[in-house]
Amino acid sequence: MNVRKIVRVMVAVSLIWGALTTGALAAEPIKMGAILPLADSTGKDGSRSMELAVKQINEKGGLLGRQVKLIMMDDEMKGDKAAAALDKLVTVDNVDIIVGGVGSGATMGAIPGMKKYGKVVVWIGGASGKIEEAMAGQDWFFHLHAWDYQQGALWETGYLEMEQKYGIKRKKTFMAYEEGAFGSGSFKAGKPIYEAAGNELQGEAFKSAALGGGDYRSVLRHAKEFGAESFIWTGYDKDALPIMEQAKEIGFAPGLFVGSPPGWPVDFKNTPLNQAVMFYSYWSEAQGVKNKNSKMYSDAFRKEFKDDPVTYFGPLAYTNIMIVAEAIKRAGTLDNAALIKALEATSYASPMGDTFVFKKSKIIDHQAFASPKIMQWQNGKAQVVWPWEVATAKLIYPFPAWDKRDKAAVPAKKAKGEKK
Amino acid sequence: MKYSKYLAVLVLFIVAAALPNYLGLYQLQIMNFVFVYIAFALSWDMLLRSGQLSFGIAGFAGIGGYTSVLCGYNFALSPILCILIGSAVAGIVALFVGSQVLKLRGLYFSIVTLAIGEIFRVIVRNLEVTGAAEGILLPNAIFMGNATKTYWLMFAIATFTIIISILFQKTRIYYALTSISNDEIVAASSGVNIFKYLVIIFVVTSAIQGMAGAAYWQIYASVTPEGAFNLGFALLPITMALFGGVGTTWGPVIGSAILSVTAEYLKLQFPHGHLLVYGFIMVAAILWFPSGIMGVFKQFTAKFNT
Repeated sequence: MNVRKIVRVMVAVSLIWGALTTGALAAEPIKMGAILPLADSTGKDGSRSMELAVKQINEKGGLLGRQVKLIMMDDEMKGDKAAAALDKLVTVDNVDIIVGGVGSGATMGAIPGMKKYGKVVVWIGGASGKIEEAMAGQDWFFHLHAWDYQQGALWETGYLEMEQKYGIKRKKTFMAYEEGAFGSGSFKAGKPIYEAAGNELQGEAFKSAALGGGDYRSVLRHAKEFGAESFIWTGYDKDALPIMEQAKEIGFAPGLFVGSPPGWPVDFKNTPLNQAVMFYSYWSEAQGVKNKNSKMYSDAFRKEFKDDPVTYFGPLAYTNIMIVAEAIKRAGTLDNAALIKALEATSYASPMGDTFVFKKSKIIDHQAFASPKIMQWQNGKAQVVWPWEVATAKLIYPFPAWDKRDKAAVPAKKAKGEKK
Repeated sequence: MKYSKYLAVLVLFIVAAALPNYLGLYQLQIMNFVFVYIAFALSWDMLLRSGQLSFGIAGFAGIGGYTSVLCGYNFALSPILCILIGSAVAGIVALFVGSQVLKLRGLYFSIVTLAIGEIFRVIVRNLEVTGAAEGILLPNAIFMGNATKTYWLMFAIATFTIIISILFQKTRIYYALTSISNDEIVAASSGVNIFKYLVIIFVVTSAIQGMAGAAYWQIYASVTPEGAFNLGFALLPITMALFGGVGTTWGPVIGSAILSVTAEYLKLQFPHGHLLVYGFIMVAAILWFPSGIMGVFKQFTAKFNT
């Protein structure tokens, strides 16, 4: 074999090797790193929904000719664990983008790491205004949830509209809140709003069953003695059933009985105690009646997991992945700057019933969130009663007295000027 | 043979000192967990040697953490100075509490220490100056988040605790506390000032816990009531010390190292059920090896020698 032949063979081998390695690189999946509290109902719904979204993306050929791989880490709702999860995702798994997030405390612990790495983060939780302050000027941070001060204001708008439509009386409002950041923060954010609306507001903290509590009798009695026309409790899913049982036990049935846990316990829909209980949320399965994306999501979730999502973090996590996927497609690359630009151009019709578009909030540049909704449990289903354009049922008002529940569980008759 | 123990310790320290050159950022983060639990478990064990069962780790770690973060947030002091202040405040609180409750014994003392964390959690949650329920966020983490430097910081705290524990076993206080643990009446009739020695050891161990908590929350540049006073900080170190073997310096160290790493390993293997598996392992280990790893090791070496 002469030198020329050897050179030709070497060139051929190099070309084949090059082609093979390029092929191997092309086969390398796009990695999305998710941080969620996996033992919690929000994390359970969120992780399943993210898996569903990734499965659907991969079935359609993936992104940029590559498959998508989702790597999930549990933050256990703790800041230190969230920080470790972030380190693992970025330095061990070399993920291309960070998604997920639920609790504010866990988010706060991960912030130094997020700033250190500067990876693109599309975050669905952490509603505390302190997080917004900490993220000032961070162009890689995209937030898909309303801040605490925004939530209260939007729901108050809903109440004012419902007051006019249904003749609701709520001059005396009692707010019971779990003593942690979630409950106290909600009370703090809601207090000036309620008072500005002319409400006489009284608040009292309770220890959530999720944190070792479970006796709400004292708070409920105080609300009853106060003569509350509207009772709002802010706590966790584990508080829902005992609060209703103890309210029935002491015969407390104010005109409006409102709960606002991030998610309801799975069996809450089966209890007759739920009838006419109102709650705040961003999504209900009932929205599928009016919104095809919502129906598509619910059907796909049920088909995949033989179960229903119980918290809005399900469709929100699905939205999280889909927004990132669309941005990667638009960017055509995983380069940070291009990805940020592509994310800024987001316009995604989410299963939550809203089109997500990033705008400037009070401090950060990239915030998009679903419109808050006021819901009510009616005959075992969570129905949307406000905003009107997405409402799936009329409000049952007043909350039926415990001894007259069978007769009273019908939609409100006081609606003014309503078309049948 | 006489020097083999010291040689083993030296090798261990050389390995620990070399680790940052070989570990990634995630593994360094796990080492922070190992070191903070070593400080908690070993300091808890030092108090246990006097016969006092404390559940106050979460309380003192939380006091240290809050003090340190508040110092940084309000006065922009150096993080190291903030950690020292956090440790001092935890020690002062322990001095005040100890002078009142160390007259109690057994279950009564344990319950009071358990209440410390809960009381301070309620206080910080209701004060605006401590950030109320949302807690406080610092603009920057200690050493600007440099993982190698934070490794050295936590390594130094764990090493400091180990050295204190070893030195402690050579002091008069140790003998006094051992005699108190064995029989208080005999100790008192021998002239041992029981109350004084108990207060000293309670203050020292609480200051260590305060220092570890202060450094830990400086790394995450934030502190929340639920995070800083987390009951897990009271119960996990106790389990780790029991798992490694109480009454020794190396038992809690080994227990903390094994269980901290196991917790993270399980999380990677079983993302959805790791806490359940971890809980089962801890219960099973304590049921089957009540004297801990050091106990098993001692039994083994005793059999080997005979």
